[in-house]
Amino acid sequence: MISLGARDMARQLLAYEAAAEETSVATKSTALRVHEKLRQSLCALSGVAGYRSLASRALTLAKVKAPSLRVMQVTADGSLQVLSEAESESDKGFASEDQVVLLTELLGLLHAFIGEALTLRLLREAWPNAVFEDCDSGRRKA
Amino acid sequence: MSAQDKVAIKKLPTGVLGLDEIVGGGLPEFSFNIIAGAPGSGKTTLAHQFVFANATPERPALYFTVLGESAIKMLRYQQQYTFFDPAKLPNSIRFINLSQVVLEKDLGAVLAEIIREVEKVNPAVVVVDSFRTMIRKPQGNSGETDLQSFIQQLALFLASWQATTFLVGEYAEDELRDNPVFTVADGLFWLRQTTERNSIVRKLQIMKLRGQASVPGLHTFRITNGGLQAFSRTFGLSGHKSKPPSQRRLSIGIPELDKMMGGGIPEGDSVLVTGASGTGKSVLATQFIAEGIRQGEPGIVAVFEERPQAYADRAGSFGLDLESPQKDGRLLILYLRPLDLSVDETMNEILDAVKRIGAKRLVIDSLAGFEMALSPGFREDFRESLYRMIFALTGIGVTILSTVEVDESFTEFPFSTYSISFLTDDIIRLRYVSIEGQLRKILVIIKMRGGDHSQDIREYEITSKGLVIAGERLKNYQHLITGIPKRLKPLNEKEELSSKPDAESKT
Repeated sequence: MISLGARDMARQLLAYEAAAEETSVATKSTALRVHEKLRQSLCALSGVAGYRSLASRALTLAKVKAPSLRVMQVTADGSLQVLSEAESESDKGFASEDQVVLLTELLGLLHAFIGEALTLRLLREAWPNAVFEDCDSGRRKA
Repeated sequence: MSAQDKVAIKKLPTGVLGLDEIVGGGLPEFSFNIIAGAPGSGKTTLAHQFVFANATPERPALYFTVLGESAIKMLRYQQQYTFFDPAKLPNSIRFINLSQVVLEKDLGAVLAEIIREVEKVNPAVVVVDSFRTMIRKPQGNSGETDLQSFIQQLALFLASWQATTFLVGEYAEDELRDNPVFTVADGLFWLRQTTERNSIVRKLQIMKLRGQASVPGLHTFRITNGGLQAFSRTFGLSGHKSKPPSQRRLSIGIPELDKMMGGGIPEGDSVLVTGASGTGKSVLATQFIAEGIRQGEPGIVAVFEERPQAYADRAGSFGLDLESPQKDGRLLILYLRPLDLSVDETMNEILDAVKRIGAKRLVIDSLAGFEMALSPGFREDFRESLYRMIFALTGIGVTILSTVEVDESFTEFPFSTYSISFLTDDIIRLRYVSIEGQLRKILVIIKMRGGDHSQDIREYEITSKGLVIAGERLKNYQHLITGIPKRLKPLNEKEELSSKPDAESKT
C-alpha cells in the first residue's frame, strides 16, 4: 500500500524538477531526470545492485497501474531506459500521472523499508535546494 | 618521561552503556579497531552506537558497507534502536556502498575509493562493514603480501587523517593467530554468543587495546532496544578506592541479637542468614533493613521470590513500615525475577540502585532465588560473580545481608548448600529443634570475622513484632544443633511451664 506521503512527495519532486527544466536545457524527460538523481544518491547508499533491485520492483508494480510504462526498463546500472522501439513515442513524454505512479512506487518502497523520515533525508541530499512539504504533518517544512 | 611530557590520548565515548568503563574510560582517538564475532553477535549495532555517539556535522562519520547486509536493510533495522538519531543523516553520518568496487576491481581500487571519500569528507569516524567480505574475495596472484599491504596502508592512512576506525568482520576464534588484520589493529573487540540449554549467553572481550588498560576477561552484554549494554566484570568499581575498615556496628533491630554480635553487624560486612524454610530469615532481613531506615541509612532489598508489594505488606504485618521509605527514596525493593538474567547484569542493577540512593544496607533475599533467576549458562559463574559483587560493595562500605535456605537435617548442621560461607564475614544460623514435644526455633552465631561473638544458642520466636529472642541461652540441653536435643535433667512441672517462651513478655 502506498502512503499519501509517497504520492505527494513524488508530485513535489516532479514539479520541482519540471521547474528546474524551464531554466536549463533538458535532454531527458522530467521523470527520467528525477530517477537519475535518485539513482545517483541511492547507489552511493545501497550499491548499484541494491538500487537496481529497488527500481525493478517499483517499475513492475507501477506497470500494473500505468500500462504506458511497459516501454520502460531498468538497466544494469539501475537507470531507467525506454525500450528502443518505443523511443519515438517516449519523446513526447509519459502521461504526467504515470510518472507520478512510477516515482510513488519507488518512494513507497523506501518508505516501507526505512520509513518516511529517512526517505525524506535521502531526498534532501539529492535535491539540496528543494523545499519538501511533509504531507503527513501539514505545513511542516522538511 | 614525566606525565606532562606524554601525549594525552583523548578517549571517545563508545555509546555503549557500560563499555566505556571496560575499555578504560573510552576508546582511544585515532585508533584502528576490529569488531569481530559470529553472525548475529551485535557487531554492526556496536559500530552504529559508536558512530551515533561521535559523529557531528563538522567531523562526520563515514560508514562503508561492503558485501554483507544491504545499507537499506541495515537502516531499516538499526533505526529501531533508541540510539539511532535520524537527524544525524546524512550530514553527520554518511553511508557509502562499496560492493560494486569490491566485485569489479581489486583491493587497490577499494583503498582508493575509501581514500577519496575520506579526503572529501574529513571524517572523525570510519567504519568498514563487513570488512571480512572484502578480504575474502580472491585476490588473484597478489596473495598475502598485497592483503597485508592493503591493511597497513588503510590503517596508516586513516590514522594520519585523524579518523577513529572500526573494521567489522565475521571471524572464528581459530583465525586469531597469524592474521595481519589483528596485528595491525590497535583494538580488538570480540563478541561471542553461545546457547546454554534454552538461553543465549552473550559475552564481550577486549582482546587487545593499545595505549590504555582495559578490564580483562569476558564481560556479559545484552542487546536491548537501546542497543548493546555491557556489564563489566568489576561492576564499574575497578577504579574506586576501598573505604578503610569501619569500627561502627549496625543494629539489626533485634536488641538481643545485636548483643550476641558484640553490638551489631560490623559496617561493611557481608552477613549470611541461613536456615530452613519458615525459620524467619526474611523477617530478620526485613528488620535489618527497617532498622537501617530508622537510623537514616538508605537500603536496597533485592527480592526474587515475591513481588515488592507483597514484601512490603509482609513487613507491615510485623509493624515495619517499608511503604513510606520507598516513597521518599530511602528504600528500593528490586524485583529481579525475570529469567535469563546474567549474574553481571543483575548485579549491575543492584549496584545502580545502591549508587542511586546512596544505600548503606543491602538485603539479598534469597541467594537461591537469585540463582534461579539466572540463565542456566550463568549459574556456573554464580559463586564467582557473587564474590566479585560482595567484594566490590563491601569495599565501598555497604553492609550486605543475604539469606539462604538450607535443607534441615537432623544429623548435620549445614550453613549453606552453596559452599559460599567463604564469601561472608558473619554467619547467623537459624534452625528448628524438637523440644518438649514442640517444634521450636534456635539461632546461633556461627562466625564473625570482625571479632568476638556470643557462643550462646538462643531460642527465638516469630511474633507480631518480628523475630524476638527469648530468655537466656538453653542450658539444659545437649545436642541442640542436631535439632533433637537431649535434656540434661528432667524438668519439674513449674520449670516446664516457664521454659516455654512467652512472646508478650519479650522485646
